[in-house]
Amino acid sequence: MDQAEHEALVEKALHFPDGLPGLPDLERFVIVELREDGAFQQLQSLDNIDVSMIVCVPWMFFPDYAPVLSDIEQAELELESADDAILFVPVSFDSESHQVFLNLLGPFVVNAKTRVGRQLVLTGTDYSTRTPIELPGI
Amino acid sequence: MLVLTRRPGESIVVGENIVVTVIEIKGGQVRIGIDAPREVDVYREEIYEQVRQENLTAIANAEEIRRAVQDQSRPRDDDT
Repeated sequence: MDQAEHEALVEKALHFPDGLPGLPDLERFVIVELREDGAFQQLQSLDNIDVSMIVCVPWMFFPDYAPVLSDIEQAELELESADDAILFVPVSFDSESHQVFLNLLGPFVVNAKTRVGRQLVLTGTDYSTRTPIELPGI
Repeated sequence: MLVLTRRPGESIVVGENIVVTVIEIKGGQVRIGIDAPREVDVYREEIYEQVRQENLTAIANAEEIRRAVQDQSRPRDDDT
């Protein structure tokens, strides 16, 4: 990657000031689309190129999914309306059963205007870190 | 680990501005109230740990997960 490409990536980067649970030092990420239908993305760390996570926007699979941000989280992200929020969740896979799972307990929320985000740990919900899904059209 | 004995209604102060209060003890459960500044995140330990573990697993297996979810109709040079 040359300098210009790197600067272009940094320009588009999402900033997670607190890092992620388990990876507190990784603050800057970019989103890379993985499919033409936009179902899955790769959340790629810019601080450590070896670190990435597959994520997806959960509403294609769970239209009723409704994570609630606390007042504190809303204030931290300076979110004034839900329209300003970008939300996606981690994806995992069991290689024996070939089952794909979504982590609905730990969604990422990003303010689309500031590009600042964080991973939430939802409280007071029944959402699971491993909710099975069927893949669309592969 | 510091171990303290507290009765319902009594508190523990952590640092300058975190207060942990035992509210009620009933049937093997303790209700705890926590007053902390808004920049301090407070989680149930087991829930936070689940998300942390799941992140580490998702990152360790990112390549395999990417192959599992990627559109096969879109050829990539690094497909196996």
